[in-house]
Amino acid sequence: MVLHLLTTYFSLALIFFGKLTIQLLTIFGIGAGGTWPGEIALRGNPHILSFFLRRVRSGIVLVAGTNGKTTTSKLIQRIVAESNRGNTDRMTIVHNETGANLMNGLISAFIREWRIQKPYDFAVLEVDEASLPHVVAEMQAYKGKVVLVLLNLFRDQLDRYGEVRMIARIWKESIKKLPSQTVFVVNADDPELVDVTHGKKNKYFGIKDPSSYLKKGEHATDSTYCPFCGQKLTYEGIYSSHLGIWRCQKCGNTRPKLTLSAYPSVLPGLYNRYNTLAAVLTAQILGINKNQIKNALENFSPAFGRGEGLIVEGKRVKIFLAKNPAGFNATVRTVLELGAKNIVFLLNDRVPDGRDVSWIWDVDFEMIPDAVMCIASGDRAYDLGLRIKYTHKSRSGISNLKIFETTKEAIVFGLKQMKQHETLYIVPTYSAMLEARKILTGQAIL
Amino acid sequence: MKKILELTVGWLYPDLMSTYGDRGNVIVLSKRSEWRSIPLSVIPISFETSRKDLLSCNLVLGGGAQDREQELVANDLRLNKGKTLKEMFTRGIPGLFVCGSPQLLGKYYMTGDGKKLLGLGIFQFVTKHFGHDKPRCIGNTAGKVVGIPLSEIGKRETIVGFENHGGRTYLGQNDKPFAQVLKGYGNNGEDGYEGAVYKNVIACYYHGPFLSKNPHIADWLLTKALEIKYGKIQTLTPLNDRLEWKAHMLMLSRLEAYKDI
Repeated sequence: MVLHLLTTYFSLALIFFGKLTIQLLTIFGIGAGGTWPGEIALRGNPHILSFFLRRVRSGIVLVAGTNGKTTTSKLIQRIVAESNRGNTDRMTIVHNETGANLMNGLISAFIREWRIQKPYDFAVLEVDEASLPHVVAEMQAYKGKVVLVLLNLFRDQLDRYGEVRMIARIWKESIKKLPSQTVFVVNADDPELVDVTHGKKNKYFGIKDPSSYLKKGEHATDSTYCPFCGQKLTYEGIYSSHLGIWRCQKCGNTRPKLTLSAYPSVLPGLYNRYNTLAAVLTAQILGINKNQIKNALENFSPAFGRGEGLIVEGKRVKIFLAKNPAGFNATVRTVLELGAKNIVFLLNDRVPDGRDVSWIWDVDFEMIPDAVMCIASGDRAYDLGLRIKYTHKSRSGISNLKIFETTKEAIVFGLKQMKQHETLYIVPTYSAMLEARKILTGQAIL
Repeated sequence: MKKILELTVGWLYPDLMSTYGDRGNVIVLSKRSEWRSIPLSVIPISFETSRKDLLSCNLVLGGGAQDREQELVANDLRLNKGKTLKEMFTRGIPGLFVCGSPQLLGKYYMTGDGKKLLGLGIFQFVTKHFGHDKPRCIGNTAGKVVGIPLSEIGKRETIVGFENHGGRTYLGQNDKPFAQVLKGYGNNGEDGYEGAVYKNVIACYYHGPFLSKNPHIADWLLTKALEIKYGKIQTLTPLNDRLEWKAHMLMLSRLEAYKDI
């Protein structure tokens, strides 16, 4: 008992200290305190997350997957907030909206929303692939509603995460520890995830739309082998990478029956169709009614850098984060569909981007027509430039490639290139996205 | 009359061994060949590929595999393709094996789970993975080529790239190292060697788009492939490689490897 009280007081001290850190960081304009307060608290008490989670009254939603976490969790956060509209008592929803999704980011989000004498109502958290097991381990005693949303699993930063199958194996093992009331919202089009959550309380979403099948398979494809028996899978149709209507001829496993397969997407692109489906299905499971879901989605604006639109010097700019081959292919396809004439590609190789940039060779840059101007920059501007050069048919090349050593020069050039009615599309890796936003808005986010 | 040249590249198990940008080498070779009006066709080497088709290849490429795939590939390679590949490589057919694929060409590879996968024995080296809890060799890397005569690679002696491997490779007595490590780990992080060369076959731990920033090595492979196929010394039309060398030099200076040259 005494020990328990002591831990509680110690945790409170850490929270106080964390709040102070947030204040200081904000006052001095260093950032919004996305990770530091949590990092300090975590060092003081490695299990501080379970202290916070116990104080969430209604429910916890965790969103995991390689691509779409930030958008999906923002969608869910908005819907949950909308479901409380009209109530005088403000609902406290903990949400790591800046995409800080490691343990320290999650804890920082809890510290930010901490009010003395007031528990949290909801937590909507996006969780990094490698951090999911640690978060799950802190949830064992939780009694409220739990939804785990699994979006997709693609090759991403092998230097940091290891192979796709390794992540799947770790997830499969760790989710066994989730409380028994947990509902799994799973992308049925991803065979690896269907295996990960096999035998659980599952609700499936997926796309039913033959007109969206890819004409030709993408190069960057994982999991085309049956996760259950190792046989090569057959697909009736593929939407992106290994996502599609799959079936195993040997063991008979097949894409499961869908609970939700269609909902008007809030943002352009295939991934946002999946993100919308995942969020709406989660909302339905949480018991939120149709109109509230609809209202929340109607007024939705994208998370920063995820299809976010900005006006810079009277010109329209859209930023689409792309950090791995599957996401990059989907993004390029989306911006081309939107009619892009100028695309700024930014490739950094810092820790959040992954130090290895080899993956750009798995991206199908070949799909970009000659008439589209490609502007390459970032820490690895020349690697990116080379990748684009090697899509050219003749050795003399074409003039649709410009390389700049600094992101600023690249963006300025892009803005100059565009005609009044056009939009400049920026496709950056993570740290390059923060840099580009800073240049465009003159303000730091993290 | 000028002879019409063409090349066929065999790409080993592209759907099993293409983990991280390995396609880069295929693209670079294809383009550098096509830009010189030498049509290059790529044939995927799979479990079903016949000896005849394998023999039609003028150059062989291999990339990295995930653990499960590596085992499938190792078996098929050793049992069904090994003899033919050995014959081809002994005849001088060039090859480039990057990422995890060199492990399949040595005597054996001891996996992280303690399983011994027998290799093709083209090289004498052995590879050991000391367990998944041991740190991997990860990072940008640079080396100085020692396994190929410099006169054959335009006197450009450096190579740059990225390595990420759990296994450590130890050269045998008769193995000729491909390069000396300037920055990075190389074969095992101990003896300062990177990869190995047997006749015209290069094995190294560099990742898939290795050739993109090392055009001299790409052209060396193409030259060797043409020589073996057409039997006389071939000179390739020079290309404008300003961008390639810019990327190469930038990595060298970033790694501060240039001081060692």
